[in-house]
Amino acid sequence: MFKRILIANRGEIALRVIRTAREMGVECVSVYSDLDVHSLHTRMGHLAVPLGGDLPATSYLVAEKILAAAAKTGAEAIHPGYGFLSENAEFARAVVKRGLTWIGPPPGAIELMGDKIASRRAMLAAGVPLVPGLTDPVTDVDAALEAAKEIGFPIMIKAAAGGGGKGIRIVRDGAEMASAFRTASGEATSAFGDGRLYLERFLENPRHIEVQVMFDEHGGAVHYGERECSIQRRHQKLLEESPGPTVDADLRARLGEVALRVGAAAGYVGAGTVEFLMVGDEFFFLEMNTRLQVEHPVTEMVTGIDLVRDQLEIAAGEKLARAQADIELRGHAIEVRINAEDVSAGFLPATGTIRNLRLPAGPWVRVDSCMYNGLEVGLSYDPLLAKIIVWGADRGKAIERCRRALEELNVGGVRTSAPALLAVLREPEFRAGNFSTQFLEGLDLTSREGPEERLVAALAVVHRRAGARRRALSMDSGGRQGWLARGRAHQARQDSWEGGR
Amino acid sequence: MKYFVDIDGRPHEVELEDHLGQVSVRVDGETLDLEYSEVDGLGQFLVLSEGRSYGVSIDGNTRELSISITGSLFGVHVEDERERAAGAAERSAEKLGGLIKSVMPGIVVQLLVEEGQKVQQGQPLLILEAMKMQNEIAATVSGVVRSVFVESGQALASGEKLVQIEES
Repeated sequence: MFKRILIANRGEIALRVIRTAREMGVECVSVYSDLDVHSLHTRMGHLAVPLGGDLPATSYLVAEKILAAAAKTGAEAIHPGYGFLSENAEFARAVVKRGLTWIGPPPGAIELMGDKIASRRAMLAAGVPLVPGLTDPVTDVDAALEAAKEIGFPIMIKAAAGGGGKGIRIVRDGAEMASAFRTASGEATSAFGDGRLYLERFLENPRHIEVQVMFDEHGGAVHYGERECSIQRRHQKLLEESPGPTVDADLRARLGEVALRVGAAAGYVGAGTVEFLMVGDEFFFLEMNTRLQVEHPVTEMVTGIDLVRDQLEIAAGEKLARAQADIELRGHAIEVRINAEDVSAGFLPATGTIRNLRLPAGPWVRVDSCMYNGLEVGLSYDPLLAKIIVWGADRGKAIERCRRALEELNVGGVRTSAPALLAVLREPEFRAGNFSTQFLEGLDLTSREGPEERLVAALAVVHRRAGARRRALSMDSGGRQGWLARGRAHQARQDSWEGGR
Repeated sequence: MKYFVDIDGRPHEVELEDHLGQVSVRVDGETLDLEYSEVDGLGQFLVLSEGRSYGVSIDGNTRELSISITGSLFGVHVEDERERAAGAAERSAEKLGGLIKSVMPGIVVQLLVEEGQKVQQGQPLLILEAMKMQNEIAATVSGVVRSVFVESGQALASGEKLVQIEES
């Protein structure tokens, strides 16, 4: 096993990796941007190396800075987390070239799966079911309109080099194409430096089901069952669960078999996720994510397996510790994402300073969070602040536990996605397991009046009055205390405290 | 004393009556039982209401507060009768004309119109990028672009002026 690894990431995922590494006796090198000087991952690594810079493009995305930090600290391997450089084949190659171990799949597999067109061809050859669409990308609106005639509307356009929901638009008829193409291509160019777009038929009301796979370099391969991730908005997942409420043992076996075939066709090693779109019990390959997923904890909760430990052992050349027959899904797990978002304003990004933080705890509640009191939430990084993951003996109990945990959460200063998550958990169709990827967009979250609305109104007024009374009283008492030196000092403190509000 | 409370755009009226130190609260005409005490001097409060207990946090000043309760954060604006009268004049002035403001913090990626240009309602004026998503900001009225307050590449806070359209 490695003595020391570098974690080329920030936020909750950096902490996630640090925790398992610490349990395994592996030392961690954290890297941090100027904005992350006080972040938890900076404080929780064994070593911390500044990268300088603030935006990802000047910090966490600069391969040379990460490699220099590894060389300086003598780290033997690099864990990329998710996002940033995790799916950058060139970076993975550079890591290997420096004589370090890349805790991830071979660069060739990243490259293949990162290229939507090449992966489509490879999967077609491997006999994996695919959604009808183009095998070649288009570069302008006219070509897109021409291609649309063959595929048929509704059509989904997405970035040829994309991922993470960037550069994706749904086009319902030809008139919408020009505007959708322009913004999607602009997003793709700014995110990936490649404005080419790929077109495919948009499946109406599908479910998003994905399978966690793990390959070692000795030919061992297992799948850890599925995750249901249909609760999403603009292709950003908000709630995930395992097992899928509509997936039985037979379907799970079929999904797992195809997922392993996808990985094998790519020459895969390490942890990966094969995503499918599902309509009825028919499923189509969507893409493979060549990294650890944000939602990996739900799989950990139902299988009892630490996926980061698997990743480290496999990267160190060890054999997979288990066979497919050893893997069993027990009970039900749900993950909810606490993002800095203003739900009532249509999920616009929220900013501010975190205050009065209270994280949920108690039986079968896991919190993977990067929040602390005083954390300034800006626009430079991903809005994910925390994930709350709960386990229950069955789906119903997991839903109630998740609701309980969300009600326990208190984040002052910054709006979060929590109210939307609570609304989802209340919804009868969700509770019945009857939903698709369209579910969240169909939910009206803007005009929802919470049950505490009247209480909040009253509280605001009572608090205002109490504040006014407190100020009046302290002015009065300050006048008298002014005769004593100690009283004056007290009054000065009071003033500066009031002034700082 | 009467207060006008706006919670994320929803208006409420709250009346506070003080009978020899015994305060009673009415929200939208209905009495609400409420007791509150400060926990730590940093914004955490214990609230007891209608036999229920809540761990609440409150941030902000006397007029603009944010209150976090059972997982949700509410943005609250409080005005007394005098402040409301003063605010009414200001608000009516702002509503005139097609002033488009940013509804989120972000970066201006591209300007699609220039001053003096005629625009139709719904026409995209500029592209704003926030959280790596690009959004088209459309004209709310038809008319002529009178002023463009931003330039390409500029970082914006929420509520900043973007474009002024003179309605026609």
